[in-house]
Amino acid sequence: MPRFHKFDIARSQLVTATEIFFNQRNFSAVITLAGAASGILDELVRREGKEPFVDYTCRVHRELAGTTPPRRSAFHHIEKRLGISAHKHLSDKDTPTVKLDLERQATNALVRAISDYIVLKGQEEAFVKAVLQWTWQNSDGKAIMERYQAVPERQRPKK
Amino acid sequence: MTVCEYTRLQLAERQLEAAIGLFMVGRDRFAVITLAGAADVILSQLAFDKDKSNFTDTLMGEAIRDGAVERTRAEHGRAINDVLFINDMKHMDKEEDGFVDMDPEECAFGAIMKAMVNYIAIVGRKHPTVAAFLLWVSKNMDSKKYNLSGVPNLKPEDAQDPASNESEKKGA
Repeated sequence: MPRFHKFDIARSQLVTATEIFFNQRNFSAVITLAGAASGILDELVRREGKEPFVDYTCRVHRELAGTTPPRRSAFHHIEKRLGISAHKHLSDKDTPTVKLDLERQATNALVRAISDYIVLKGQEEAFVKAVLQWTWQNSDGKAIMERYQAVPERQRPKK
Repeated sequence: MTVCEYTRLQLAERQLEAAIGLFMVGRDRFAVITLAGAADVILSQLAFDKDKSNFTDTLMGEAIRDGAVERTRAEHGRAINDVLFINDMKHMDKEEDGFVDMDPEECAFGAIMKAMVNYIAIVGRKHPTVAAFLLWVSKNMDSKKYNLSGVPNLKPEDAQDPASNESEKKGA
């Protein structure tokens, strides 16, 4: 039976998510694949002793609101905000329809997964550069960086 | 970028279509498992809402008739997902070593077919996506191995290639 490491499983799904984002624009597929990759990369980043995206958001919440949300709650909140939950859960209590901004949520889900990937492997691979450069151009990267410069050091990602 | 309203079926269909497309052209099997698995969670509930029963119930009934211990639908569903490694594609525990021993091809096809049964229960076999995929399956997948003709009560050993059965016997 072939053996695979979960890093390779996560990377494969992240590359596929990126290809689908640019080629087919099936944003539902992008959201689910980026979410799956994040579920693995999050743990791998922790094992490296570095700060995953989820922990970063918890730290920013503490800086802004004075309390640290439980990690599990933050993880689920992020999955809900990015539309990941709506694509992989349905119970008899859920509404028959759901309102989503699929393109925005796919972009954000991809960026969140890529941010953890970069912590592990840097940003030199073609699919990583493609996502970063596309979002820089289409999310007004310059304006975001200007706002980022005004953010106190302790609210920034760890280096 | 705009907020739109989507039915649950639309969200499942987009994922299932992506899974089928990747599978047919021989691409990322891990992605196929994740997409078909996610679509199936939604389709299972929708099939249940429609008929008060879904594919998991059918499999559970068969397992109990074969002597398996009775379990809840959720427990049985989790066991099927474990066989197809659906959770391993999207989750990593603190304690685990991170290695997965699996056959991606078999799991990807299994994940799509499981979702397809529930999808057919909702939209029928004449739906263009269903009809096209089933035609592709009939032309490209091993009909005996996967029991495409629907022989009732087919045993796993009967679905094997006779040559591989023979070599297994010799090896034993």
